[in-house]
Amino acid sequence: MTTLDQHVGTRPIPNPKKSLITKLNAGTGLIVGIIFALLTYRGLSTVLDISVYELNNRVLLATMFMWSIGFLAGIGAFIGPIRWLIGEDLTAEEQLYMAGDGQGIKRYFKYCTDHKVVGIQYLWGVIVLLAVGGAMAMMIRTDLANPGGHFITPSVYNSLVGLHGITMIIALIIVATGPFGNYIMPIMIGAADMAFPRLNALSWWVLFTAIPVLCSAWFLGGIPTGWTAYAPLSVQAGPGMNAFIATIIIFAISTAVSGANITATVITMRAKGMTWNRVPIFVVGATLSVAMAIPAFPTFMLAMIMTAMDRSFLTGFFDANVGGTGWLYAHLFWIMGHPEVYVILLPGVAILIEIVPVFVRKPLFSYTSAIVGFAGIVGLSFLVWAHHMYMSGWMPMLNGPFMVTTEMISVPTGLIFLVILGTLWNGKPWLKVPMLGVYAFLWNMLVGGITGLYLSDVPADMYLHGSMYVTAHFHYTLMGAALTGAVAGLSYWYPKMTGHMLHERASYISFWLVQIGFQVLYLGMFIAGAEGQPRRVVDYAEQFATSNKISTMGAYTIGIGFIVLLWAVIHSWRHGKIAPMNPWGAKTLEWTVPYPVPLVNFDTPPVVTSDPYGYGRSAK
Amino acid sequence: MSEHDSVDLKPTPGDRLANFYKRSDVIQSTIFGVIVTGIFVILGGKFYTKWMPTVMSTDMKAIERLMVVFTWIAAPVCGVVLGVALYTFLNRHSGDTQPPDGPATRTNGPIVLLWSVVTSLLALTAVVYGITELNSSSIASAKNAEDAMVVNVTGSQWVWTFEYPKLGVTSHELMLPINHPVTFHVNSVDVNHSFWPVQLGVKVDANKVAETTAETTPNKLGEFDVKCAELCGLYHAYMETTGEVMTVDDFNNWVVAQGGHSA
Repeated sequence: MTTLDQHVGTRPIPNPKKSLITKLNAGTGLIVGIIFALLTYRGLSTVLDISVYELNNRVLLATMFMWSIGFLAGIGAFIGPIRWLIGEDLTAEEQLYMAGDGQGIKRYFKYCTDHKVVGIQYLWGVIVLLAVGGAMAMMIRTDLANPGGHFITPSVYNSLVGLHGITMIIALIIVATGPFGNYIMPIMIGAADMAFPRLNALSWWVLFTAIPVLCSAWFLGGIPTGWTAYAPLSVQAGPGMNAFIATIIIFAISTAVSGANITATVITMRAKGMTWNRVPIFVVGATLSVAMAIPAFPTFMLAMIMTAMDRSFLTGFFDANVGGTGWLYAHLFWIMGHPEVYVILLPGVAILIEIVPVFVRKPLFSYTSAIVGFAGIVGLSFLVWAHHMYMSGWMPMLNGPFMVTTEMISVPTGLIFLVILGTLWNGKPWLKVPMLGVYAFLWNMLVGGITGLYLSDVPADMYLHGSMYVTAHFHYTLMGAALTGAVAGLSYWYPKMTGHMLHERASYISFWLVQIGFQVLYLGMFIAGAEGQPRRVVDYAEQFATSNKISTMGAYTIGIGFIVLLWAVIHSWRHGKIAPMNPWGAKTLEWTVPYPVPLVNFDTPPVVTSDPYGYGRSAK
Repeated sequence: MSEHDSVDLKPTPGDRLANFYKRSDVIQSTIFGVIVTGIFVILGGKFYTKWMPTVMSTDMKAIERLMVVFTWIAAPVCGVVLGVALYTFLNRHSGDTQPPDGPATRTNGPIVLLWSVVTSLLALTAVVYGITELNSSSIASAKNAEDAMVVNVTGSQWVWTFEYPKLGVTSHELMLPINHPVTFHVNSVDVNHSFWPVQLGVKVDANKVAETTAETTPNKLGEFDVKCAELCGLYHAYMETTGEVMTVDDFNNWVVAQGGHSA
């Protein structure tokens, strides 16, 4: 950072001609990655007989990891560390070059350390993942439109369910902290960049290498396990499972890197005067979310390493015949799995809480309650994992305690509602698209929360567990609350990220299509679940026909809604109305910088004297 | 004189409370809230019983009651949230310029306290009710354990097999005598399955080696569905069969017809 600062005043166009860095980009990354993968596959398959189950798994896993390493080498991720090994570092020119200043659109395809570039890279990554996951959802709903339909085979269907699940989970984990956490958050806290700009680039490009790996699952026969990948089904599964395992391990590395970076940035790089009680709530939400991911994801990574060892070396961690147990997998998975849903939820909710005061023109009601609510959710989320295992037969004795901790989460969640309602009360909300998301959230989170109450109750879960009811419930929380928050954040920060306003009419139309379609889709699914339809089934009995038809109609409506939004995002990027510096009249720091945001964000480092919620006429 | 006026104009807390109830936003939000609460109470009592399948055991009856009671517990929360949300939504600011600033209320101690206490109490009600139900069902199953009929349930990809060890019968359909407690000993020979006799309101996973149990007492004659509720591979969707709750005589006849010895 200091090197950058020193060179900004008399900035020559950086042109370290002889440096290797100038010659590397995503193209060279692809080439080296593919070469590494091919060499690994060819080399290992001559030594190991790939017709044998465990040997084939070894070859495939090694190939996937070598692709990832090769890509990172080819894009220049290791140049810095190698210089350190030989006792040197990048020169100042090289560092400035890596920040990508003045390189136009090319910098988005390079190992670029500028947090604003990384934010845009994440945004498009998320859009691609959501589009792929959404297309899979459309295929699932098309198959389920009629009972006895043979639109797709059971094998393809099971793969769709699993890959839709993991694609959307990955997309939603990064949907807010990726684009907005990288682009907006450093500006929001008055920093010049992230604490570790090179790690920032690393976290994106590591994640990027996971995407082709995940896609390769299709060409290796798909995955039969759903995104939960329960053992022993995952050990029994075919070669496509290796793609799932490698994706999770690569993704866990990316989140660890990014989590450490965001946490360090917020702790150490806040503007002068930004004490902890003046930090914008989005920053709090995003930081708590990644801080929660730091201990949570390694357990998933560990579960995947153990699955990989069971598959590649027949170790039997999860094989009951040799003393292992599938319950061990379920524990490791859900110790990640339940914090993970709050990793997804918190940044989305925090965006909405950030939006409310701006559009109601009132201070945030009870900032402390929002913090206590977030902290309560984070704390409790680590104590509830076994509510996913009430019916597994593991320790029925402990179902009661886990029910208590689970239902306690409704109290901090209630505080989040109070903060939003208290801010709305006595105000006249300005119903721009971002603010509409707040209302959608209130309804969706209410439904998601209440249906969660039934599911948290052991006797009721005895009936509902594993049914479509569960599917509808978590879509209400993850999609209805978290994704709605992220979409609201997109229309809120789009002016700052692109310099143009997001097409207003199109985003209104998209909002209503998506939200109405959403209610129709999951109302149908709640009914199907209550009627007794298990989840993840390719086919169902005649009695569920009506509710499934309703769901499919809702799904298509959502699909159309998101296509409209995608059009608006692409169209407005260049042709949208030119955005003023602060279109919403907000008081957070990101609205004090012009577009395009300068390389180090602020000409003079800002000094903060109050929290950013000083709206409202003073009391008489 | 003017000083005296300004002192007079300052409302006492009592006046403020009295005025509070006369404010149009308070009245309208309350009306919306009451309507929403009413809708949830009525729908909660009707819809789950309509959607959920025939009740064929006391366990299923308890589940249905629980769904209704929980909806009632949640109804006032929906009323408060949606009452305020609806009012502010309808009284929105339209136009392309931002609205005038509202009052600069930072927080309100009593409201935050009241809200925390009420939501905690509602959560506590749900916890206590759930624990009580859980307890009474485990007491009932412990009481029935002595004279319960044992059925060994085995899940395999993608078939359910039911073995009646005392009767020497094995079947792929689950026949049960009415009003006789039954204990399922559930196992799997391959991957995880989840044994779900839908209308009986019980469910438990079938795991390899580690046996799990579930108890119930069917109390209504008729057919029911047996499904698998845990993704178990290719034909998971088709891993289902039927069962029937029979009179004791019919059950004994069935056992004999299957080549077993009547109990």
